Amino acid sequence: MHIPDGFLDPLVCGATYAFIIPYTLYAFSKAKEIPREKRSLIPVLAAAVFAAQMLNWPIPGGTSLHFVGGALSGILLGPWGGYLVMFLVLLVQCLVFHDGGITTLGANLLNMAVIDVLVGYAVYKAAPPRHKTLAAFLGAWLGITLAGIAAGIELGVSAYTPYGLQITLPVMGGWHAALGVVEGAITALAYRYLEYRAPYLLGAQQARLG
Amino acid sequence: MDKKWALVVLLVVISPLFGVYLAALVGYHEPLDVAAEKLGLHDLTEKTNWTPFLDYTVPGLPDWLGYIVSGFMGVAIVAALGYALARYMGGGDSATGKVP
Repeated sequence: MHIPDGFLDPLVCGATYAFIIPYTLYAFSKAKEIPREKRSLIPVLAAAVFAAQMLNWPIPGGTSLHFVGGALSGILLGPWGGYLVMFLVLLVQCLVFHDGGITTLGANLLNMAVIDVLVGYAVYKAAPPRHKTLAAFLGAWLGITLAGIAAGIELGVSAYTPYGLQITLPVMGGWHAALGVVEGAITALAYRYLEYRAPYLLGAQQARLG
Repeated sequence: MDKKWALVVLLVVISPLFGVYLAALVGYHEPLDVAAEKLGLHDLTEKTNWTPFLDYTVPGLPDWLGYIVSGFMGVAIVAALGYALARYMGGGDSATGKVP
């Protein structure tokens, strides 16, 4: 889902940067409110998301996917901590490996670090305690689907054609709704594992949310 | 080694199987690529590239090994920035990576 340089027009690039710069500054200002016991999770979660994103899953005859991890980051660290984890991952991917363009970094952050994180976090937060694993699955699925739709809108309005959105929305929304099932499954499994092995990481979040 | 970091190392070591071998075998094609092809959009990554590690390769190394080296390099940089961020949040155990 990393949009490369050349796919978005200057207006969309500028608009997404205009949104993401103050959002990032605000996230840094809110970061100090993240509970102390969760801070140790940031380096390893960022590293794990980076590594997991390298595992591409090509699907014969169709399309491909890789784990994104925005929803999982939001569930574990909340909207601001989750954003900063994804910010670090996407920044390094862009600057060191040119995975995702520099002109499109604002859009990529908006899709994968804002929308995916916020949706995953919101669905998880809204769910009752006994359904948190299901919420992790649904949040990750919906997060990746809406992130895909957002990318589709950005591509569609950049296409210099009145039919851009009619092409990009079904392709991006449809495929990501299908591929998002895998994102949901991985997120739910990771959540379940942490619930079993490191419940203090989830307990603090649930307590804060409750 | 801490189990969390062992998992990260494992992911990087097996990553060429998915990111290089299977991608070449089947053809990696994201929905984004499908949409861009239909719209006739052009990827300018190679024309505007600034890094020797483009697409997780390392000059002089075979793709699978470059992918692993890139993986460890990326993990190290991301983790270092993560530790710096945890320290920025306010010292304590976060800076050492220890969980109470």
